[in-house]
Amino acid sequence: VKSWLKRSGLPSWFVVLAAALLLAPAVADRGTLNDLWSVAFAVVLASAWNLLGGFAGQISLGYSAFVGMGAYTTVLLANRGWNPWLTLPVGAALAVVFSVMVGFPTFRLRGPYFSIATIGVSEAVRVIASGMELTGGSSGLRMPSASFHFLSNYYGMAGLALLTVAVVAFIRHHAFGMALEAIRQDIDAAEALGIHSTRYKLWAHAVSAGLVGAGGGLFAMNFQYISPGSVFDFSLSLRIVLMPIVGGIGTLVGPVLGAVLFGYLQIKLLASPTLRDFNLFIYGGLLMLVMLFEPRGIVGLWERLRRLWRRPTPAAVEVPRGG
Amino acid sequence: LAVERLASVLLSSLLLAGLYATMAYGLAVIYGVMRIINLAHAGLMMLAAYVTLTLNTHFGLDPFLSLLVVAPLFFGFGVVLDLTLIRRLPRGGNAPSMQSLLLLFGLWLVLQNLAYVVWGGDTQSILTPYAMSSVPLLGERYGVPQLLVFGVSLVSLVGLNIVLRRTFLGKAIRAVTQNRDAALLSGVNAGRISAVAFGLGTAFAAIAGTMLSALYAFTPDFGRSLLLKAFCIIVLGGMESFTGVAIGALVLALIENLVAAYTTIPTSFQDAISFSLLVLVLVAAPNGLLALFRGFSRRAVAR
Repeated sequence: VKSWLKRSGLPSWFVVLAAALLLAPAVADRGTLNDLWSVAFAVVLASAWNLLGGFAGQISLGYSAFVGMGAYTTVLLANRGWNPWLTLPVGAALAVVFSVMVGFPTFRLRGPYFSIATIGVSEAVRVIASGMELTGGSSGLRMPSASFHFLSNYYGMAGLALLTVAVVAFIRHHAFGMALEAIRQDIDAAEALGIHSTRYKLWAHAVSAGLVGAGGGLFAMNFQYISPGSVFDFSLSLRIVLMPIVGGIGTLVGPVLGAVLFGYLQIKLLASPTLRDFNLFIYGGLLMLVMLFEPRGIVGLWERLRRLWRRPTPAAVEVPRGG
Repeated sequence: LAVERLASVLLSSLLLAGLYATMAYGLAVIYGVMRIINLAHAGLMMLAAYVTLTLNTHFGLDPFLSLLVVAPLFFGFGVVLDLTLIRRLPRGGNAPSMQSLLLLFGLWLVLQNLAYVVWGGDTQSILTPYAMSSVPLLGERYGVPQLLVFGVSLVSLVGLNIVLRRTFLGKAIRAVTQNRDAALLSGVNAGRISAVAFGLGTAFAAIAGTMLSALYAFTPDFGRSLLLKAFCIIVLGGMESFTGVAIGALVLALIENLVAAYTTIPTSFQDAISFSLLVLVLVAAPNGLLALFRGFSRRAVAR
């Protein structure tokens, strides 16, 4: 197992995550499983976003567009008699196609300009989805009744979460990931070394969009009802960005930590009405704190603590991988 | 009739452009001096609208008169924000940094939640006695609030232009915008200029927010689509040029009004047009329309 993990670039905590997610149905009750489903969904979104936002440093603020495309594809096809599971690849493929359509023009932009363009794109998609008849307008759409089976939904989302982490780990471990890292550090230097930056960014965008699109489909299957306010919303894009940033942008474990933290927060927030009124304080405050004091999030904080713990001798000083 | 219709479209575009320019100028001045994209701009506009509402309900202050209170108040708020938050970030050289973008994004969320806690989540609006009255102009009737908004925009933008051109502070701001290092070398206190610039940008966000509160209903979520429009304008206008912002505002207002008047695209898709335009312009003319059309003239870069 160990050598297999090493070859695919998977960290050892992946085994723990996999065991926890897959064995949980044997011991946990329905409510806990529901919470774990939310965490797994968050892991999909955060890890997939991190591929483009963390590794390649292209901060997209418009990922809700891909969630929405996957979710709407699933609902629309399921209502035409498709098996919901067969709609997932279709939704993922549509998200991939859309990601390339968006990526071609916007990847010419750098840094914050790219981020702003992605807000523009996703808001345009949301406005159009709220106005079209096909998508049921702003009132949204419902899945066909009797298409709901919680346990298979749970395994679906858990499997997708593990797949996402594995794909991201694999990419990070291989030349593709190193090319993305080079683009993040210095795009001009990377191009000078012969890295076709736009092509790599498009690939990273496509892979993460596909994973997020499939996640959107699973979201629709579990919630049975979607609307532009739930899957195309700006606040969803926002949460997708916050999780990896708070956890530790550009690292493998960071988005997972962030997803677990936000998944937990979300459950607490939904449970208590007073906290719910303050959710933007929590999101915004966390973002500000991270940016002001530790731009590398929980991972950076952990490394700082560890360095305090053992006094570094000159030989032991680590060169941070950056984020 | 066709001519009259076109004239009315042009005139209402001009009126709208005044508001748009005020809204966008706050972003442009902060970007020019500090190379920061102020995502909190929408939150500041929203907050100003609520402050105006409170001044109106508690003291019966007219929205346009309350500008005299709101603008200085937010100027101070902007200076405080710069001193407490933005100054702590490392300067990212000549390119805008992601860190400041995300920090101000966080600030926007905090401001939204603040408004939600203080004023509640319901839709609010300010009813002025003249809200429904209108004036005939070139065969069409125009609302008094719209005309007042245009007047205030004109006065504040011309006032700002005079400050930027005639006073030492204004010249220092323009110097830092054009070349930060050269300005530092000639003795400009860049720290103070940054604080003033952020204050000015915040004050302009507040002026725009107050005027918007006199025109439209608002909620704590208010301002996101306007923020995108403001981005669209400053990108159209070339990010830091004063005339560019005015032209960008006019272009956006014209496109919106022409589309509304001459095509059958439903109004619910209107915002999608300006958002797509934003992406299109970012990609096709990242240095703005002025640079695109006046490529032969270096004067396009200077104000």
